[in-house]
Amino acid sequence: APSVGRAQEPIRWRFQTYAGAALGEHVTKPIIDAINAAAQGELEIELYYADQIVPTGELFQALQRGTLDAVHSDDDSMASPTPMRVFGGYFPFATKHILDVPVLFNQYGLADIWRAEYEKVGVTWLSAAGQDPCNFNTKKEVTSLADLEGLKLYTFPTAGRFLSQFGVVPVNIPYEDAEVAVQTGELDGMAWSGITEDYTVGWADVTDYFLTNNISGAWIGSIFVNQQRWADLPDHLKELVMAAIKSADTYRNQWYWGGEARLRARGDKLELRSIPPEEWKQVEDAAITFWDEIAQEGEVHQKVVDIFRDYNDVINRAGPPYTF
Amino acid sequence: MSQDMIAIVMFSGMMGLLLTGQRMFGAIGFVAVIAALLLWGDRGGFDLGFAASIKLMKWYPLLTLPMFIFMGYVLSESRIADDLYKMFHVWMGGLSGGLAVGTIGLMVLISAMNGLSVAGMAIGATIALPELLKRGYDKRMVTGVIQAGSSLGILVPPSVVLVLYAMIARQPVGQLWLAGIVPGLIMAAAFIIYIVIRCKLNPALGPILPKADRDLPRAEKLRLLTAGLLPLGIFAVMMVPFINGWTSLVESSAIGALAAFVAAVLKGRMTREVFENSVRNTLGVTCMFMWIILAALAFGAVFDGLGAVSAIETLFTDQLGLSPWVILILMQLSFIVMGTFLDDTAMLVIVAPLYVPLVGALGFDLVWYGVLYTITCQIAYMTPPFGYNLFLMRAMAPPEIGLRDIYTSIIPFVAVMIVVLVIIMIFPDLALWLPDLVYGK
Amino acid sequence: MPDALRAYVRGIDAMNRAIGRCAMYLLFALVGVLLWSSVSKTFFTPTLWTLETAQFIMVGYYILGGPYAMQMGSNVRMDFFYGDWSPRRKAMADVITIWFLMFYLGVLLYGAISSTAYSLGYFGTEPFSFFADLARAFVTGGPAAASEVMGHMERSPSAWRPYVWPVKVVLCLGVALMILQCTAEFFRDIARLRGEEI
Ligand code: NA
Ligand code: NA
Repeated sequence: APSVGRAQEPIRWRFQTYAGAALGEHVTKPIIDAINAAAQGELEIELYYADQIVPTGELFQALQRGTLDAVHSDDDSMASPTPMRVFGGYFPFATKHILDVPVLFNQYGLADIWRAEYEKVGVTWLSAAGQDPCNFNTKKEVTSLADLEGLKLYTFPTAGRFLSQFGVVPVNIPYEDAEVAVQTGELDGMAWSGITEDYTVGWADVTDYFLTNNISGAWIGSIFVNQQRWADLPDHLKELVMAAIKSADTYRNQWYWGGEARLRARGDKLELRSIPPEEWKQVEDAAITFWDEIAQEGEVHQKVVDIFRDYNDVINRAGPPYTF
Repeated sequence: MSQDMIAIVMFSGMMGLLLTGQRMFGAIGFVAVIAALLLWGDRGGFDLGFAASIKLMKWYPLLTLPMFIFMGYVLSESRIADDLYKMFHVWMGGLSGGLAVGTIGLMVLISAMNGLSVAGMAIGATIALPELLKRGYDKRMVTGVIQAGSSLGILVPPSVVLVLYAMIARQPVGQLWLAGIVPGLIMAAAFIIYIVIRCKLNPALGPILPKADRDLPRAEKLRLLTAGLLPLGIFAVMMVPFINGWTSLVESSAIGALAAFVAAVLKGRMTREVFENSVRNTLGVTCMFMWIILAALAFGAVFDGLGAVSAIETLFTDQLGLSPWVILILMQLSFIVMGTFLDDTAMLVIVAPLYVPLVGALGFDLVWYGVLYTITCQIAYMTPPFGYNLFLMRAMAPPEIGLRDIYTSIIPFVAVMIVVLVIIMIFPDLALWLPDLVYGK
Repeated sequence: MPDALRAYVRGIDAMNRAIGRCAMYLLFALVGVLLWSSVSKTFFTPTLWTLETAQFIMVGYYILGGPYAMQMGSNVRMDFFYGDWSPRRKAMADVITIWFLMFYLGVLLYGAISSTAYSLGYFGTEPFSFFADLARAFVTGGPAAASEVMGHMERSPSAWRPYVWPVKVVLCLGVALMILQCTAEFFRDIARLRGEEI
């Protein structure tokens, strides 16, 4: 029933995203805008960008405590204390396209695992979505695996661990310093995002080449809420929040999917380079071994890796477009 | 209470507490945590203060702070700058006001080797000041030159002030530093022009050095020039690896600290006492900055949490209909007014949460704004009643220089600084040209 | 002033001075780590551990050196009015306003303690009872029993992945020492008001 004479104070949430303002505009802000517009003052969410209230590495604890009410991040960046940490962000070669992520979560059972694992540590996991692939943007030209030898890259911890077997030197510096480090030559480039982000955050201005081979087809990121705050939320607002997340997922899917294509084809800041598929196969094969290593780490790890294997078996048999 | 109201209460509470004279970090930190507790309660109110310490730890460029502070102390305590002074003395003495001009040159070189203005003040007050007075220079001219010249320490890289600004405005330190070079040199040139004109009009202000004093053998004169190699060398071992990408900024700062230390040892000036003073003072000053920034970050987070910045932006642009430039000029004016009675870190802490996002939202370049902020700090350093250089001058000046002399001595130099500030405001490229050149693709 | 209080103030001063003077030399550890970092990345391959190690050293430097810096009077005050006051008047103001500072430090300490508990795998809201349990387990059952009490150990989100509890323990310790130094300053000012200098 429509509520009449609703005079009570709005519910206010503090929501922090892993993204800086330029990127957050596209990946997180649409969720918040949709909720604030539709909630008619019942729920008001204030959005904060990377590190504004707490540093990104402290997001999880802040969420648990209620310093923040909700968070948008991948499990890796927010230093999640769950086994999900290694799979969030970019797990090497787990996905090929942005749509693989919702399929894995909703059809193959990852959602249940994520929900249950976060439940255990006192945080409500709401939803996961895919984003861009993990490509390399570099100052040096990369056209073969040999070019990776000694390449100093800024990348995610898990990706760095994986890539080091090909001679990549993962350089450990703060995110905000990466751009300058490329300019000074301290870094040769990044393995952090697809081309849309390279243009959005300014990395395309400081690097010259974009390697079309990726080490993961889609970033996995989630929306988390403080458990108590979620429990306190009236059901109709819960529905509204979920609907807003879904609508923002749609926007984000298009933004990345269209952006990757348009900027590769028409962008004038980065020249495309590729390693031949036969050669790149070595990296893909190495991922299989890497998955085995990760699966050894625990029961939950094993379950997730099994699901990735199962799904990859399906798409490999299905062939293109699932396998490019 | 509305959010703007809470913001106003927080600011006035902080000002009130600051005026009681309690340690600044305590006043800022108290307002931050009490506001966090009142506004956020047990939903994170207790954690916000501490979260700032993690933010502070992860901000890599802050590691340069103790390095540059240490360099400054080694330079001033070990008096390895004495030869530099002699060099300018002999080479510039023939000009009317030449020693004052030389002192500005000395200050520029010292600025390139340390991140604060204290080293320049100490060297200026202990070496240049007595010499210039002995040579019959006007005492107001001399005190003004030293105070103004030493303030270049925060504009010419390395600069601790720009590191702190970078932390709060989240801008790249390397670019900020490069942005400070040209304005720093313009300012030094402006001081020199002022001195030369003043002394031309009234030669009694800066008498020419007697010929006997500067008539050294040519070989000796050339040998003195090598004194200038030391600061250039230290600057080079620090900046070359950084610009070439061999090392990061932070690593370069450690190389600089080591270079200054080795130079002092080689010159035989690194006595036990010099060592003790340098190391101890570095701890004191670093702790002072770190604890203030720790408190300031908590304050900033609470303030961010209020969402008051967008409210104020709406007020300025939509409701009052002010143009971005008018707002910017108002900000600079309020900065200068605040700078007369506030110290630079307090100023940064108080205005950063409000001004910096607003400047960004208005579409201005935050690197350029960092330079404007730093010039305002330079002015603040010298303007009574509160100013570091002012205090140091008061403490170091010989008895014949009274408080009135110190206060009046700065007037023309502050005027010059304001002119430079306006020039940089009108021509942002003066600041942005060099970082664009180095960091452009 | 009772002798006990006088001894307390002197004791705190001496302890913080000793700790601070040790922390003071961390400056050279910092220089060393950063130089090694430059050398290794220029001539060999970049190391993963130097950046975070340097950050941890910096925390030790300014947190443990903080109380000594306070003794030295390094913390700036806005001396718009304060600067012109007599020592007695300054002491009078400080006796009151230092409680604001201590309140800040108290909240900071609470945050540090609960964050340390988190880094040892305690996710609840009662950090003190967690540490009590931890201590009890350690005393009765040794390290093995203590590790039972602990849960997921927090690691830094980097390629090196160090555990973060040691630096959080240092933060707790440093803030606690800072509070002790404040109490010493408080009693010193009380003494000053009674015409006595400690
Ligand atoms: Na400088
Ligand atoms: Na001032």
